[in-house]
Amino acid sequence: MGFLRFIGFSVIRAWQGFWRNAMMSLATTATVVLMLVLLSGLYIVITGLNSGLSFIESKVGVTAQLVGPPDQKALTEDQLATLITFTRGLPGVKDVTYVSPDDAMERLKEVYLARGQTLDLGNDPQHRITIYASIEIQLTDPKMGEPVAAALRDRSEVVQITTKQDELDKLVGVINVVRTVGLVAIALVGLTVLFMIVNTIRIAVYSRSGEIEIMRLVGASDSFIRWPFILEGILCGLIGALVAIGLVAIVWDPIQPVMYDVFKVPTIVGARFLATLSALLLAVGLAVGAIGSWISVRSYLAA
Amino acid sequence: MSVTTRPMTSDELAAVAAGREAHARREVVISMLDAGVTYPNGKTALSEVDVTIPRGDFVFLVGASGAGKTTFIKLLIREVQPTAGRVIVAGRDLARLRRREVPRLRRRIGIVFQDFRLLPAKTVFENVAFALEVTGASGAEIRRRVPMLLNLVGLHQHGDHLPTQLSGGEQQRVAIARALVHDPAILIADEPTGNLDPVTSWEIIQLLIQINVLGTTVLMATHNQEIVNAMRRRVLALEDGKLVRDEPEAAYEREY
Repeated sequence: MGFLRFIGFSVIRAWQGFWRNAMMSLATTATVVLMLVLLSGLYIVITGLNSGLSFIESKVGVTAQLVGPPDQKALTEDQLATLITFTRGLPGVKDVTYVSPDDAMERLKEVYLARGQTLDLGNDPQHRITIYASIEIQLTDPKMGEPVAAALRDRSEVVQITTKQDELDKLVGVINVVRTVGLVAIALVGLTVLFMIVNTIRIAVYSRSGEIEIMRLVGASDSFIRWPFILEGILCGLIGALVAIGLVAIVWDPIQPVMYDVFKVPTIVGARFLATLSALLLAVGLAVGAIGSWISVRSYLAA
Repeated sequence: MSVTTRPMTSDELAAVAAGREAHARREVVISMLDAGVTYPNGKTALSEVDVTIPRGDFVFLVGASGAGKTTFIKLLIREVQPTAGRVIVAGRDLARLRRREVPRLRRRIGIVFQDFRLLPAKTVFENVAFALEVTGASGAEIRRRVPMLLNLVGLHQHGDHLPTQLSGGEQQRVAIARALVHDPAILIADEPTGNLDPVTSWEIIQLLIQINVLGTTVLMATHNQEIVNAMRRRVLALEDGKLVRDEPEAAYEREY
Protein backbone atom coordinates (compact mmCIF):
# COMPACT_ATOMS: atom_id res chain seq x y z
CA MET A 1 0.00 0.00 0.00
CA GLY A 2 2.67 2.45 1.04
CA PHE A 3 4.83 1.30 -1.84
CA LEU A 4 2.00 1.79 -4.33
CA ARG A 5 1.50 5.31 -3.01
CA PHE A 6 5.21 5.96 -3.45
CA ILE A 7 5.07 4.70 -7.04
CA GLY A 8 1.96 6.76 -7.74
CA PHE A 9 3.48 9.86 -6.21
CA SER A 10 6.74 9.45 -8.15
CA VAL A 11 5.06 8.77 -11.49
CA ILE A 12 2.73 11.75 -11.15
CA ARG A 13 5.58 14.04 -10.13
CA ALA A 14 7.70 12.77 -13.02
CA TRP A 15 4.86 13.38 -15.47
CA GLN A 16 4.27 16.89 -14.10
CA GLY A 17 7.99 17.56 -14.21
CA PHE A 18 8.18 16.42 -17.83
CA TRP A 19 5.55 18.94 -18.95
CA ARG A 20 6.68 21.67 -16.58
CA ASN A 21 9.67 22.28 -18.83
CA ALA A 22 8.08 20.88 -21.95
CA MET A 23 10.46 22.44 -24.50
CA MET A 24 13.50 20.95 -22.84
CA SER A 25 11.89 17.57 -22.22
CA LEU A 26 10.63 17.30 -25.79
CA ALA A 27 13.99 18.34 -27.24
CA THR A 28 15.65 15.64 -25.15
CA THR A 29 13.05 13.11 -26.22
CA ALA A 30 13.72 14.10 -29.84
CA THR A 31 17.43 13.35 -29.43
CA VAL A 32 16.49 9.98 -27.94
CA VAL A 33 14.35 9.34 -31.04
CA LEU A 34 17.23 10.38 -33.29
CA MET A 35 19.62 8.02 -31.55
CA LEU A 36 17.19 5.12 -31.66
CA VAL A 37 16.35 5.72 -35.33
CA LEU A 38 20.08 5.63 -36.11
CA LEU A 39 20.34 2.46 -34.09
CA SER A 40 17.41 0.94 -35.97
CA GLY A 41 18.99 1.85 -39.30
CA LEU A 42 22.25 0.23 -38.29
CA TYR A 43 20.43 -2.81 -36.95
CA ILE A 44 18.46 -3.20 -40.17
CA VAL A 45 21.51 -2.79 -42.41
CA ILE A 46 23.66 -5.14 -40.34
CA THR A 47 20.91 -7.76 -40.19
CA GLY A 48 20.47 -7.44 -43.95
CA LEU A 49 24.17 -7.69 -44.70
CA ASN A 50 24.61 -10.65 -42.37
CA SER A 51 21.71 -12.48 -43.98
CA GLY A 52 23.04 -11.68 -47.43
CA LEU A 53 26.38 -13.03 -46.33
CA SER A 54 25.01 -16.34 -45.16
CA PHE A 55 22.85 -16.57 -48.27
CA ILE A 56 25.89 -16.14 -50.49
CA GLU A 57 27.82 -18.61 -48.38
CA SER A 58 25.08 -21.16 -48.76
CA LYS A 59 24.70 -20.57 -52.48
CA VAL A 60 27.61 -21.19 -54.81
CA GLY A 61 30.66 -22.40 -53.00
CA VAL A 62 33.30 -23.17 -55.59
CA THR A 63 33.42 -22.57 -59.32
CA ALA A 64 35.86 -24.50 -61.49
CA GLN A 65 36.55 -23.05 -64.92
CA LEU A 66 37.05 -25.83 -67.44
CA VAL A 67 39.45 -26.06 -70.32
CA GLY A 68 38.09 -25.16 -73.74
CA PRO A 69 38.63 -23.11 -76.87
CA PRO A 70 40.41 -21.13 -78.00
CA ASP A 71 43.46 -22.37 -75.96
CA GLN A 72 42.52 -26.03 -75.72
CA LYS A 73 39.96 -28.41 -77.01
CA ALA A 74 36.72 -28.59 -75.11
CA LEU A 75 36.16 -31.53 -72.80
CA THR A 76 34.38 -34.52 -74.24
CA GLU A 77 31.19 -35.62 -72.57
CA ASP A 78 33.01 -38.59 -71.01
CA GLN A 79 35.72 -36.38 -69.56
CA LEU A 80 33.07 -34.05 -68.21
CA ALA A 81 31.10 -36.93 -66.71
CA THR A 82 34.25 -38.28 -65.02
CA LEU A 83 35.06 -34.88 -63.57
CA ILE A 84 31.54 -34.39 -62.26
CA THR A 85 31.48 -37.87 -60.71
CA PHE A 86 34.87 -37.21 -59.10
CA THR A 87 33.67 -33.89 -57.77
CA ARG A 88 30.43 -35.32 -56.41
CA GLY A 89 32.53 -37.84 -54.48
CA LEU A 90 34.48 -35.16 -52.62
CA PRO A 91 33.53 -34.65 -48.99
CA GLY A 92 31.44 -31.52 -48.35
CA VAL A 93 29.97 -31.37 -51.85
CA LYS A 94 26.20 -31.06 -51.99
CA ASP A 95 25.58 -30.62 -55.68
CA VAL A 96 27.42 -30.00 -58.92
CA THR A 97 26.00 -28.04 -61.84
CA TYR A 98 27.51 -27.86 -65.31
CA VAL A 99 27.36 -24.44 -66.91
CA SER A 100 28.06 -24.53 -70.64
CA PRO A 101 29.54 -21.55 -72.49
CA ASP A 102 26.10 -20.89 -73.96
CA ASP A 103 24.52 -20.93 -70.50
CA ALA A 104 27.19 -18.56 -69.30
CA MET A 105 26.50 -16.26 -72.25
CA GLU A 106 22.80 -16.29 -71.45
CA ARG A 107 23.54 -15.34 -67.85
CA LEU A 108 25.76 -12.51 -68.96
CA LYS A 109 23.03 -11.23 -71.25
CA GLU A 110 20.55 -11.41 -68.39
CA VAL A 111 22.85 -9.38 -66.17
CA TYR A 112 23.07 -6.71 -68.86
CA LEU A 113 19.35 -6.86 -69.44
CA ALA A 114 18.72 -6.35 -65.74
CA ARG A 115 20.78 -3.17 -65.98
CA GLY A 116 18.72 -2.06 -68.97
CA GLN A 117 21.52 -2.58 -71.48
CA THR A 118 21.98 -5.02 -74.30
CA LEU A 119 25.08 -7.06 -74.52
CA ASP A 120 26.53 -6.40 -77.93
CA LEU A 121 29.47 -8.65 -78.56
CA GLY A 122 29.73 -7.47 -82.12
CA ASN A 123 31.51 -9.44 -84.70
CA ASP A 124 34.90 -7.92 -84.30
CA PRO A 125 37.16 -10.99 -83.94
CA GLN A 126 39.79 -8.97 -82.10
CA HIS A 127 37.42 -8.17 -79.29
CA ARG A 128 35.69 -11.50 -78.98
CA ILE A 129 34.95 -12.44 -75.44
CA THR A 130 36.08 -15.89 -74.50
CA ILE A 131 33.57 -17.69 -72.36
CA TYR A 132 34.57 -20.93 -70.74
CA ALA A 133 32.45 -23.74 -69.53
CA SER A 134 32.45 -24.29 -65.79
CA ILE A 135 31.09 -26.43 -63.04
CA GLU A 136 29.50 -24.81 -60.01
CA ILE A 137 29.82 -26.73 -56.78
CA GLN A 138 27.44 -26.22 -53.89
CA LEU A 139 28.77 -27.14 -50.52
CA THR A 140 27.15 -28.67 -47.50
CA ASP A 141 29.25 -26.37 -45.35
CA PRO A 142 30.93 -23.15 -46.52
CA LYS A 143 34.06 -24.20 -44.63
CA MET A 144 34.61 -27.11 -47.04
CA GLY A 145 35.38 -24.66 -49.87
CA GLU A 146 39.15 -24.81 -49.46
CA PRO A 147 39.59 -28.66 -49.44
CA VAL A 148 37.28 -29.03 -52.44
CA ALA A 149 39.15 -26.31 -54.34
CA ALA A 150 42.47 -27.97 -53.49
CA ALA A 151 41.30 -31.33 -54.78
CA LEU A 152 40.23 -29.83 -58.10
CA ARG A 153 43.11 -27.43 -58.63
CA ASP A 154 45.58 -30.13 -59.86
CA ARG A 155 43.23 -31.73 -62.37
CA SER A 156 44.02 -31.15 -66.04
CA GLU A 157 40.37 -30.41 -66.93
CA VAL A 158 40.39 -27.37 -64.69
CA VAL A 159 41.86 -24.04 -65.75
CA GLN A 160 41.07 -22.01 -62.72
CA ILE A 161 39.26 -22.30 -59.42
CA THR A 162 37.25 -19.45 -57.99
CA THR A 163 35.95 -19.76 -54.53
CA LYS A 164 33.58 -17.15 -53.13
CA GLN A 165 35.97 -16.72 -50.23
CA ASP A 166 37.45 -13.49 -51.55
CA GLU A 167 34.03 -11.98 -52.09
CA LEU A 168 32.89 -13.20 -48.72
CA ASP A 169 35.95 -11.69 -47.10
CA LYS A 170 35.22 -8.39 -48.80
CA LEU A 171 31.62 -8.50 -47.66
CA VAL A 172 32.64 -9.35 -44.12
CA GLY A 173 35.05 -6.39 -44.28
CA VAL A 174 32.26 -4.09 -45.43
CA ILE A 175 29.96 -5.33 -42.70
CA ASN A 176 32.64 -4.73 -40.09
CA VAL A 177 33.27 -1.19 -41.35
CA VAL A 178 29.55 -0.42 -41.42
CA ARG A 179 29.14 -1.83 -37.94
CA THR A 180 32.11 0.06 -36.50
CA VAL A 181 31.22 3.38 -38.12
CA GLY A 182 27.59 2.92 -37.13
CA LEU A 183 28.40 2.09 -33.54
CA VAL A 184 30.80 5.01 -33.22
CA ALA A 185 28.15 7.36 -34.64
CA ILE A 186 25.55 5.96 -32.27
CA ALA A 187 27.95 6.20 -29.33
CA LEU A 188 28.54 9.89 -30.12
CA VAL A 189 24.82 10.59 -30.48
CA GLY A 190 24.26 8.53 -27.33
CA LEU A 191 26.70 10.73 -25.45
CA THR A 192 24.83 13.82 -26.64
CA VAL A 193 21.57 12.25 -25.53
CA LEU A 194 23.08 11.51 -22.13
CA PHE A 195 24.18 15.14 -21.77
CA MET A 196 20.73 16.32 -22.77
CA ILE A 197 19.07 14.11 -20.19
CA VAL A 198 21.53 15.09 -17.46
CA ASN A 199 20.85 18.73 -18.27
CA THR A 200 17.08 18.35 -18.45
CA ILE A 201 16.99 16.68 -15.07
CA ARG A 202 19.40 19.25 -13.66
CA ILE A 203 17.00 22.00 -14.70
CA ALA A 204 14.09 19.99 -13.29
CA VAL A 205 15.94 19.70 -9.98
CA TYR A 206 16.63 23.46 -9.92
CA SER A 207 13.08 24.36 -10.83
CA ARG A 208 11.91 22.25 -7.92
CA SER A 209 14.58 23.42 -5.46
CA GLY A 210 11.96 25.07 -3.23
CA GLU A 211 9.93 21.88 -3.04
CA ILE A 212 13.03 19.78 -2.44
CA GLU A 213 14.01 21.99 0.49
CA ILE A 214 10.53 21.66 2.00
CA MET A 215 10.58 17.90 1.41
CA ARG A 216 13.86 17.62 3.32
CA LEU A 217 12.56 19.74 6.18
CA VAL A 218 9.33 17.82 6.64
CA GLY A 219 11.18 14.50 6.60
CA ALA A 220 10.59 13.09 3.12
CA SER A 221 12.85 10.13 2.55
CA ASP A 222 15.55 10.22 -0.12
CA SER A 223 13.59 7.90 -2.39
CA PHE A 224 10.62 10.30 -2.43
CA ILE A 225 12.98 13.12 -3.34
CA ARG A 226 15.04 11.29 -5.96
CA TRP A 227 12.80 8.84 -7.78
CA PRO A 228 10.51 11.39 -9.44
CA PHE A 229 13.56 12.85 -11.18
CA ILE A 230 14.93 9.47 -12.20
CA LEU A 231 11.50 8.55 -13.55
CA GLU A 232 11.36 11.85 -15.40
CA GLY A 233 14.56 10.90 -17.23
CA ILE A 234 13.24 7.40 -17.85
CA LEU A 235 10.08 9.02 -19.23
CA CYS A 236 12.18 10.88 -21.84
CA GLY A 237 13.75 7.55 -22.80
CA LEU A 238 10.41 5.72 -22.81
CA ILE A 239 8.57 8.26 -24.96
CA GLY A 240 11.58 8.47 -27.29
CA ALA A 241 11.63 4.69 -27.62
CA LEU A 242 7.90 4.48 -28.31
CA VAL A 243 8.15 7.15 -31.03
CA ALA A 244 11.15 5.39 -32.57
CA ILE A 245 9.34 2.03 -32.52
CA GLY A 246 6.35 3.69 -34.18
CA LEU A 247 8.60 5.14 -36.91
CA VAL A 248 10.25 1.78 -37.53
CA ALA A 249 6.84 0.09 -37.69
CA ILE A 250 5.74 2.63 -40.32
CA VAL A 251 8.80 2.12 -42.53
CA TRP A 252 8.82 -1.62 -41.93
CA ASP A 253 6.32 -2.27 -44.75
CA PRO A 254 8.45 -0.75 -47.52
CA ILE A 255 11.60 -2.21 -45.98
CA GLN A 256 10.27 -5.74 -45.68
CA PRO A 257 10.46 -6.74 -49.40
CA VAL A 258 13.96 -5.30 -49.58
CA MET A 259 14.98 -7.39 -46.61
CA TYR A 260 13.55 -10.55 -48.10
CA ASP A 261 14.47 -10.03 -51.76
CA VAL A 262 17.74 -8.16 -51.68
CA PHE A 263 19.30 -9.35 -48.46
CA LYS A 264 17.55 -12.74 -48.45
CA VAL A 265 16.65 -12.39 -44.78
CA PRO A 266 15.15 -15.72 -43.77
CA THR A 267 11.43 -15.34 -43.10
CA ILE A 268 11.87 -16.73 -39.61
CA VAL A 269 14.18 -13.81 -38.75
CA GLY A 270 11.87 -11.39 -40.55
CA ALA A 271 8.84 -12.36 -38.50
CA ARG A 272 10.59 -11.76 -35.20
CA PHE A 273 12.54 -8.81 -36.53
CA LEU A 274 10.19 -6.03 -35.47
CA ALA A 275 9.68 -7.49 -32.00
CA THR A 276 13.43 -7.93 -31.46
CA LEU A 277 14.18 -4.42 -32.69
CA SER A 278 11.40 -2.92 -30.54
CA ALA A 279 12.75 -4.66 -27.45
CA LEU A 280 16.23 -3.36 -28.25
CA LEU A 281 14.99 0.22 -28.74
CA LEU A 282 12.95 0.10 -25.53
CA ALA A 283 15.88 -1.26 -23.54
CA VAL A 284 18.33 1.31 -24.90
CA GLY A 285 15.86 4.19 -24.47
CA LEU A 286 15.05 3.29 -20.88
CA ALA A 287 18.69 2.65 -20.04
CA VAL A 288 19.95 5.98 -21.38
CA GLY A 289 17.11 7.80 -19.59
CA ALA A 290 17.83 6.06 -16.30
CA ILE A 291 21.60 6.52 -16.51
CA GLY A 292 21.33 10.19 -17.47
CA SER A 293 18.89 11.09 -14.73
CA TRP A 294 20.81 9.00 -12.20
CA ILE A 295 23.99 10.95 -12.99
CA SER A 296 22.07 14.21 -12.68
CA VAL A 297 20.42 13.29 -9.38
CA ARG A 298 23.77 12.13 -8.03
CA SER A 299 25.48 15.37 -9.05
CA TYR A 300 22.83 18.02 -8.44
CA LEU A 301 20.75 16.52 -5.66
CA ALA A 302 23.57 15.81 -3.25
CA ALA A 303 22.43 15.52 0.32
CA MET B 1 21.73 -5.31 14.75
CA SER B 2 24.69 -6.28 16.89
CA VAL B 3 25.34 -4.64 20.19
CA THR B 4 28.89 -3.96 21.18
CA THR B 5 29.54 -3.96 24.87
CA ARG B 6 32.27 -1.67 26.14
CA PRO B 7 32.76 0.30 29.33
CA MET B 8 31.01 3.65 29.16
CA THR B 9 33.10 6.79 29.18
CA SER B 10 32.65 9.16 32.05
CA ASP B 11 30.80 11.53 29.72
CA GLU B 12 28.38 8.84 28.81
CA LEU B 13 27.90 7.84 32.39
CA ALA B 14 27.21 11.46 33.19
CA ALA B 15 24.76 11.68 30.31
CA VAL B 16 22.94 8.58 31.42
CA ALA B 17 22.80 9.87 34.97
CA ALA B 18 21.58 13.27 33.80
CA GLY B 19 19.06 11.63 31.53
CA ARG B 20 17.69 9.45 34.36
CA GLU B 21 17.49 12.39 36.65
CA ALA B 22 15.68 14.45 34.04
CA HIS B 23 13.37 11.60 33.16
CA ALA B 24 12.42 11.38 36.81
CA ARG B 25 11.05 14.87 36.40
CA ARG B 26 10.03 15.17 32.73
CA GLU B 27 10.93 13.56 29.42
CA VAL B 28 13.85 15.34 27.76
CA VAL B 29 13.36 16.16 24.08
CA ILE B 30 16.60 18.04 23.46
CA SER B 31 19.85 17.40 25.23
CA MET B 32 23.24 18.76 24.29
CA LEU B 33 26.31 17.68 26.15
CA ASP B 34 29.45 19.69 25.53
CA ALA B 35 28.28 19.95 21.94
CA GLY B 36 30.33 21.81 19.36
CA VAL B 37 30.31 22.43 15.65
CA THR B 38 33.42 23.31 13.71
CA TYR B 39 32.84 23.76 9.99
CA PRO B 40 35.23 22.22 7.47
CA ASN B 41 36.67 25.70 6.80
CA GLY B 42 37.89 25.73 10.42
CA LYS B 43 35.35 28.20 11.75
CA THR B 44 33.91 27.16 15.08
CA ALA B 45 30.22 28.02 15.12
CA LEU B 46 29.29 26.39 18.41
CA SER B 47 31.35 25.08 21.28
CA GLU B 48 30.83 23.54 24.69
CA VAL B 49 27.07 23.87 24.64
CA ASP B 50 25.33 22.09 27.50
CA VAL B 51 21.58 22.33 27.53
CA THR B 52 18.62 20.16 28.44
CA ILE B 53 15.12 20.96 27.27
CA PRO B 54 12.29 18.89 28.73
CA ARG B 55 9.09 18.16 26.89
CA GLY B 56 6.60 21.00 27.01
CA ASP B 57 9.09 23.83 27.50
CA PHE B 58 8.81 27.13 25.71
CA VAL B 59 12.32 28.40 25.08
CA PHE B 60 13.64 31.57 23.48
CA LEU B 61 16.98 31.41 21.73
CA VAL B 62 18.56 34.84 21.55
CA GLY B 63 21.85 36.25 20.40
CA ALA B 64 23.34 38.62 17.87
CA SER B 65 23.64 37.61 14.23
CA GLY B 66 26.52 35.22 13.89
CA ALA B 67 26.32 34.13 17.53
CA GLY B 68 25.44 30.61 16.46
CA LYS B 69 21.62 30.55 16.54
CA THR B 70 21.37 29.21 13.01
CA THR B 71 23.96 26.51 13.64
CA PHE B 72 22.14 25.60 16.85
CA ILE B 73 18.95 25.04 14.86
CA LYS B 74 20.76 23.23 12.04
CA LEU B 75 22.29 20.98 14.64
CA LEU B 76 18.87 20.06 16.02
CA ILE B 77 17.47 19.11 12.62
CA ARG B 78 20.72 17.37 11.77
CA GLU B 79 21.54 19.63 8.86
CA VAL B 80 24.98 19.84 10.43
CA GLN B 81 26.54 17.15 12.58
CA PRO B 82 28.15 17.81 15.94
CA THR B 83 31.93 17.71 15.68
CA ALA B 84 32.22 17.51 19.46
CA GLY B 85 30.09 16.30 22.31
CA ARG B 86 26.67 14.74 22.05
CA VAL B 87 23.32 15.91 20.81
CA ILE B 88 20.21 13.90 21.59
CA VAL B 89 16.95 14.99 19.99
CA ALA B 90 13.66 13.15 20.49
CA GLY B 91 15.58 10.18 21.82
CA ARG B 92 18.05 9.98 18.95
CA ASP B 93 21.79 10.42 19.25
CA LEU B 94 22.47 12.64 16.25
CA ALA B 95 26.16 11.79 15.95
CA ARG B 96 25.22 8.16 15.40
CA LEU B 97 22.13 8.76 13.34
CA ARG B 98 22.49 7.21 9.90
CA ARG B 99 21.71 9.28 6.87
CA ARG B 100 18.61 7.32 5.99
CA GLU B 101 17.28 7.78 9.53
CA VAL B 102 17.36 11.58 9.23
CA PRO B 103 13.88 11.84 7.61
CA ARG B 104 12.33 10.06 10.62
CA LEU B 105 14.03 12.56 12.95
CA ARG B 106 12.75 15.46 10.87
CA ARG B 107 9.20 14.22 11.23
CA ARG B 108 9.60 14.61 14.99
CA ILE B 109 10.62 18.26 14.52
CA GLY B 110 8.50 20.97 12.94
CA ILE B 111 10.23 24.10 11.71
CA VAL B 112 9.09 27.53 10.53
CA PHE B 113 11.16 30.39 9.16
CA GLN B 114 11.06 34.15 8.88
CA ASP B 115 10.31 33.88 5.13
CA PHE B 116 7.52 31.27 5.55
CA ARG B 117 8.86 29.11 2.66
CA LEU B 118 5.48 28.21 1.25
CA LEU B 119 5.20 26.82 -2.27
CA PRO B 120 3.72 29.69 -4.29
CA ALA B 121 1.98 27.55 -6.90
CA LYS B 122 0.12 25.46 -4.32
CA THR B 123 -2.96 26.45 -2.35
CA VAL B 124 -2.97 26.68 1.42
CA PHE B 125 -4.49 23.20 1.64
CA GLU B 126 -1.96 21.77 -0.84
CA ASN B 127 0.96 23.36 0.99
CA VAL B 128 0.02 21.59 4.19
CA ALA B 129 -0.98 18.40 2.38
CA PHE B 130 2.39 18.36 0.57
CA ALA B 131 4.24 17.61 3.81
CA LEU B 132 2.03 14.55 4.32
CA GLU B 133 2.09 13.49 0.69
CA VAL B 134 5.89 13.43 0.43
CA THR B 135 6.12 11.25 3.51
CA GLY B 136 3.80 8.66 2.04
CA ALA B 137 0.59 9.52 3.88
CA SER B 138 -2.66 8.18 2.48
CA GLY B 139 -5.33 10.34 0.90
CA ALA B 140 -7.66 9.62 3.79
CA GLU B 141 -5.05 10.74 6.29
CA ILE B 142 -4.45 13.94 4.31
CA ARG B 143 -8.18 14.71 4.18
CA ARG B 144 -8.42 14.13 7.91
CA ARG B 145 -5.25 15.92 9.09
CA VAL B 146 -5.09 19.03 6.92
CA PRO B 147 -8.49 20.55 7.84
CA MET B 148 -7.74 19.81 11.47
CA LEU B 149 -4.48 21.76 11.32
CA LEU B 150 -5.94 24.62 9.28
CA ASN B 151 -8.60 24.81 11.93
CA LEU B 152 -5.96 24.94 14.68
CA VAL B 153 -4.21 27.91 13.04
CA GLY B 154 -7.52 29.57 12.20
CA LEU B 155 -7.32 29.29 8.43
CA HIS B 156 -9.94 26.63 7.74
CA GLN B 157 -11.76 29.03 5.41
CA HIS B 158 -8.63 29.83 3.38
CA GLY B 159 -7.76 26.35 2.12
CA ASP B 160 -8.29 27.23 -1.53
CA HIS B 161 -6.29 30.45 -1.44
CA LEU B 162 -2.82 30.81 -2.82
CA PRO B 163 -0.12 32.07 -0.44
CA THR B 164 0.08 35.34 -2.39
CA GLN B 165 -3.56 36.05 -1.52
CA LEU B 166 -2.77 35.93 2.18
CA SER B 167 -1.24 38.42 4.61
CA GLY B 168 2.19 37.75 6.09
CA GLY B 169 0.68 36.61 9.36
CA GLU B 170 -1.66 34.22 7.60
CA GLN B 171 1.20 32.82 5.55
CA GLN B 172 3.15 32.16 8.74
CA ARG B 173 0.10 30.36 10.12
CA VAL B 174 0.09 28.11 7.05
CA ALA B 175 3.77 27.41 7.65
CA ILE B 176 3.01 26.54 11.28
CA ALA B 177 0.19 24.21 10.22
CA ARG B 178 2.60 22.50 7.84
CA ALA B 179 5.26 22.21 10.56
CA LEU B 180 2.76 20.49 12.85
CA VAL B 181 1.48 18.06 10.27
CA HIS B 182 3.42 15.09 11.66
CA ASP B 183 2.51 15.95 15.23
CA PRO B 184 6.14 16.70 16.13
CA ALA B 185 7.62 16.66 19.62
CA ILE B 186 9.40 19.94 18.95
CA LEU B 187 8.45 23.06 17.02
CA ILE B 188 11.40 25.23 16.04
CA ALA B 189 10.58 28.77 14.99
CA ASP B 190 13.49 30.66 13.43
CA GLU B 191 12.66 34.37 13.65
CA PRO B 192 8.99 33.67 12.94
CA THR B 193 8.00 37.29 13.49
CA GLY B 194 10.91 38.84 11.63
CA ASN B 195 8.77 39.86 8.66
CA LEU B 196 5.63 40.75 10.58
CA ASP B 197 4.23 43.92 12.13
CA PRO B 198 3.96 44.05 15.95
CA VAL B 199 0.25 43.20 16.12
CA THR B 200 0.58 40.22 13.78
CA SER B 201 3.72 39.17 15.64
CA TRP B 202 1.74 38.94 18.84
CA GLU B 203 -0.91 36.86 17.13
CA ILE B 204 1.75 34.41 15.99
CA ILE B 205 3.18 34.27 19.52
CA GLN B 206 -0.29 33.58 20.88
CA LEU B 207 -0.59 30.70 18.42
CA LEU B 208 2.80 29.31 19.45
CA ILE B 209 1.80 29.46 23.09
CA GLN B 210 -1.44 27.65 22.31
CA ILE B 211 0.56 24.94 20.49
CA ASN B 212 2.93 24.74 23.46
CA VAL B 213 0.00 24.35 25.85
CA LEU B 214 -1.19 21.44 23.73
CA GLY B 215 2.08 19.68 24.58
CA THR B 216 4.59 20.59 21.86
CA THR B 217 7.98 21.84 22.94
CA VAL B 218 8.63 25.21 21.30
CA LEU B 219 12.06 26.67 20.61
CA MET B 220 11.93 30.16 19.15
CA ALA B 221 14.98 32.02 17.90
CA THR B 222 14.32 35.73 17.90
CA HIS B 223 15.66 39.27 18.02
CA ASN B 224 12.37 40.62 19.26
CA GLN B 225 13.21 41.99 22.70
CA GLU B 226 9.72 43.19 23.42
CA ILE B 227 8.24 39.72 23.01
CA VAL B 228 10.93 37.97 25.02
CA ASN B 229 10.69 40.50 27.82
CA ALA B 230 6.92 40.34 27.95
CA MET B 231 6.73 36.56 27.89
CA ARG B 232 9.10 35.78 30.76
CA ARG B 233 10.01 32.34 29.52
CA ARG B 234 13.24 30.37 29.56
CA VAL B 235 15.95 32.14 27.58
CA LEU B 236 19.06 30.63 26.02
CA ALA B 237 21.55 33.28 24.97
CA LEU B 238 24.38 32.54 22.55
CA GLU B 239 27.46 34.63 22.10
CA ASP B 240 30.32 33.72 19.78
CA GLY B 241 29.11 30.14 19.63
CA LYS B 242 28.93 29.71 23.38
CA LEU B 243 25.87 29.38 25.56
CA VAL B 244 26.36 32.37 27.87
CA ARG B 245 23.00 32.33 29.62
CA ASP B 246 20.33 29.75 30.35
CA GLU B 247 17.73 31.32 32.59
CA PRO B 248 14.12 30.50 33.39
CA GLU B 249 11.46 33.24 33.25
CA ALA B 250 14.04 35.62 31.89
CA ALA B 251 14.34 38.74 29.76
CA TYR B 252 16.12 39.39 26.47
CA GLU B 253 19.09 41.03 28.16
CA ARG B 254 20.85 39.96 31.31
CA GLU B 255 19.12 41.71 34.20
CA TYR B 256 21.74 41.43 36.89
